Amino acid sequence: MIEFRDVHKWFGELHVLKGINLKVDPAEVLVVCGPSGSGKSTLIRCINRLEPIQKGALIVDTMKVHESKTNMTRLRAEIGFVFQQFNLYPHMTALQNVTLAPMKVRKTAKKEAEDQGRYVLEKVGLGDKLHQYPAQLSGGQQQRVAIARGLCMRPKIMLFDEPTSALDPEMINEVLEVMRNLAREGMTMIVVTHEMGFAREVAHRVAFMDFGELMEIAPPREFFAHPKSERTKLFLSKILTH
Amino acid sequence: MWSFYIEQLIHSLPFFLKGLWMTIAVSGLSLLAGTAIGFIWGILRASRSRFVKPLIGAWVDVVRGTPFLVQVFIIFFLLPEFGIQLEAFPAAVIALTNLAACFICEIVAAGIQAVPSGQMEAATSTGLNALQQLRYVILPQSMRIILPPLVGQFVLLIKDSSVVSAIGVMDVTRVGWLTVQRVPQGLLVFGLVAVLYFVICYPLIRISNSMEKRMSAGVTLNKM
Repeated sequence: MIEFRDVHKWFGELHVLKGINLKVDPAEVLVVCGPSGSGKSTLIRCINRLEPIQKGALIVDTMKVHESKTNMTRLRAEIGFVFQQFNLYPHMTALQNVTLAPMKVRKTAKKEAEDQGRYVLEKVGLGDKLHQYPAQLSGGQQQRVAIARGLCMRPKIMLFDEPTSALDPEMINEVLEVMRNLAREGMTMIVVTHEMGFAREVAHRVAFMDFGELMEIAPPREFFAHPKSERTKLFLSKILTH
Repeated sequence: MWSFYIEQLIHSLPFFLKGLWMTIAVSGLSLLAGTAIGFIWGILRASRSRFVKPLIGAWVDVVRGTPFLVQVFIIFFLLPEFGIQLEAFPAAVIALTNLAACFICEIVAAGIQAVPSGQMEAATSTGLNALQQLRYVILPQSMRIILPPLVGQFVLLIKDSSVVSAIGVMDVTRVGWLTVQRVPQGLLVFGLVAVLYFVICYPLIRISNSMEKRMSAGVTLNKM
């Protein structure tokens, strides 16, 4: 579904991805963790080319993301992306937020898009917030609208960039719950997060990134019980003790 | 003595109204065209285009860095040297349109750049193309930022239109110049000229002020 082959990425002089090799299967849930600045956000931002890569091959759903002639607009419609800061459109209601892309990109009729939007918002537990503006919603609710916005495009892949990092603790679970359900339904997901409980429970594999390299990748049981690299051990001991 | 001059002025009032009409025509046409062009330039200036962006930037700098009077003279007196003969009116409209476009371009570009980059990223990631992003996501948000200074700029440009009297456009200012030769009471004549400009500009100033209040109120609401 997604394949990185020796992918390199630089921000000016800064080498942020150093030869990433990674394969994600359909319906797989991959959790990526690592210290800040390790390149994990950049890794998933490359998948829909929010960031272009400079070297290597990146193939998503048979399309070659590394080739500049690839029609990214078409591919992006197949990939949902959830941001740390939600990035909802502040001038639109929840329902308008989730129906914009289906109507404009997929050319779905308004009525149909709204029916589907209502259904998906219902699914993420916001059936009563359809006509609220983002400023009237809590952080957890906003993030669920953002997930619904991605889902309304009926994507093949959902990418999450620290979806709970900007949330108050009591709101984290409502967002994770939505993601759990999504994983159960067989969505292909890459989730950058520090929620290790979520990783243990939902992920098929967990990856650890540091200094722009994929240090370790393993099924969660193995990953948490027997981390191979020293840096993984150190990182886990830091985030799991508190 | 004063009453005599005032009577004289009242006699030339139709002349002044014609001038006012000319000022409105020159400003109105220029603001309309200038706003349209200014938005296009502003959008391009805020874009990532490598070629057009610096070109517009350079042009805006040149226009902002030279006196409007000189620009008017160049269009009216120098273009004929290159075979482009223009009447005073079209020359005035072209000069003022260009000036308006340059200032509005800066306002529009600033308004677009003030929208957080996450908005464009979100729109991009859902598959909207560049034009759709602009139309449905970026511009509606920028307009809140653009409108108050835009209307304020209209006021400045209407006042700048007085410069075109220098090439013989019969606007309010020129009518003032001509009248003062018959009615040698500068204070009175140009007082009237000032009042006529004020009559057009004042409503715009009020609109701009109230928009500014409403917009800033909207922003605080948004943050809550």
